[in-house]
Amino acid sequence: MAYVATRGGERAIDQAERLFREDLGTIDAERVETIRTAMPYLVDRVMGEASFYSEELAALALAQTGGELSEAVLVLRAWRTTQPRIGIAATVQQEQLLTQRRISAAFKDIPGGQILGPTLDYSHRVLATDVLEGTPFVPPAVEPADTAAPAQQPSLAAWQRQLGLVAPLPEAAAAGAEIPDLTREPLLFPASRAHRLQSLARAETGGVLALGYAAMRGYGNAHPTVNELRLAEAEVMVRHPSGTPFSAGRIRVSQAEVTAKREYLDLGFAATFGWNEIKVIASATLDLNSAAAPVGSPVHEEFYLYHTESVEASGFCIHFKLPHYVTFQSALDAMRDAKAKKQTAAANLVAEREEEPVA
Amino acid sequence: MMFDENAGGGGRGPSHAEALNVLARAEPAGLKALAEQLLERLGDIEVLGNRTGLVMVPMRDTVENVDFHLGEVLVSEAHITDAVGAIGYGMITGRDLERAMAMAVVDLALATDIGAAEIETLLTTERRRLAAIDEDRMRRVEATRVEMETF
Repeated sequence: MAYVATRGGERAIDQAERLFREDLGTIDAERVETIRTAMPYLVDRVMGEASFYSEELAALALAQTGGELSEAVLVLRAWRTTQPRIGIAATVQQEQLLTQRRISAAFKDIPGGQILGPTLDYSHRVLATDVLEGTPFVPPAVEPADTAAPAQQPSLAAWQRQLGLVAPLPEAAAAGAEIPDLTREPLLFPASRAHRLQSLARAETGGVLALGYAAMRGYGNAHPTVNELRLAEAEVMVRHPSGTPFSAGRIRVSQAEVTAKREYLDLGFAATFGWNEIKVIASATLDLNSAAAPVGSPVHEEFYLYHTESVEASGFCIHFKLPHYVTFQSALDAMRDAKAKKQTAAANLVAEREEEPVA
Repeated sequence: MMFDENAGGGGRGPSHAEALNVLARAEPAGLKALAEQLLERLGDIEVLGNRTGLVMVPMRDTVENVDFHLGEVLVSEAHITDAVGAIGYGMITGRDLERAMAMAVVDLALATDIGAAEIETLLTTERRRLAAIDEDRMRRVEATRVEMETF
């Protein structure tokens, strides 16, 4: 591939950016706060794909990119690089999550019970067009239970291990600073499990959905059932200089286990920042399918990890808009040359036939 | 300073941890007002650091017991010391440096036993407020529990 330096576009480039920003109008703190509070699931999606948790900055990224998700994720990841890493929090563990939604499609009666939490799963998908006619949509109030749900819910996989349904848990691997970190080292294959799960946590939602859906439809080797899905809040546990551990605040997280039946119940796992259950179910499906995946198939880790990295994928896609004049001109020259040779060969053939004596 | 929470360590005990948990989620205006009051009584303070930064959050995979990095959280941190070397520290999620500094000031006051009554009043108020928020939310969550019937 070759590029050519060009001149003459400076003013056009400047005005093009102005036009984009002029279309969006003035961005103020009120607009950012409206996006943050009115679209928490969109903010969650952007934070997950940016691998950077700040509701305020994610809302700002959405505001200044007009909701162009690839750009919003890119600008957030770029801003992240301006910040020093202060530390590594304590490992978030499933049984410590403040769980607000927890369901299983594999087992009806699970320890701790099934809690639907906030969901549109069982709703009629009807657009509230009355809002546009001046009638605000006022949601019906929840009728709170007399007692609060338990803050924590037990691990379903642990219960299944007690029943001998799931393979025993191996010894815990690296912790803290020893954990392989994709932001500091390249993704190599075969990927460590830590790299695979980190990569899925920051993957593009549509990308993992497309490939996970392909696996679900039969282009994989294991059909998933949701073993457990959780939407929860996790404490960010840090340490005071004296050594006292404390929580600096809470973050929203999603995690999913999907299962397929073999010798044991095989499990796939995925988690991400924010509440984004389609992403974690699809990602866990890819994880579940990885073990026996043929190289080159959509469920092979090299295929799905490379192709669901949001910034790299969108960046490569949009780079094709940039001038490729030399490359394209070269291809055009080759095409014209081939065409000319073909025409010459055809003309020669006709001439030879005309010169042949008639019997 | 770079900490690794997983490395473990000592600390000033469970009551300190509980106070820090509450301060980190305290309502900003009240926390900042208390810090303003305490500052006058704390004497000379040196600011060792007041910055935003990232805390990497690992999570444990429930299938193979592997810890992996979920992503980084934006935090604000404040680290101060007084003339005799007592430490005040604050860290909160988000980018409110003033809030982190207010937390550090209150923490320093706790360490030097200054304004104990006012601090306890704030902690009690905030403890109740935060518990009420959680109680209300989790009662709403409990309303979505499925009462399975087998037939």
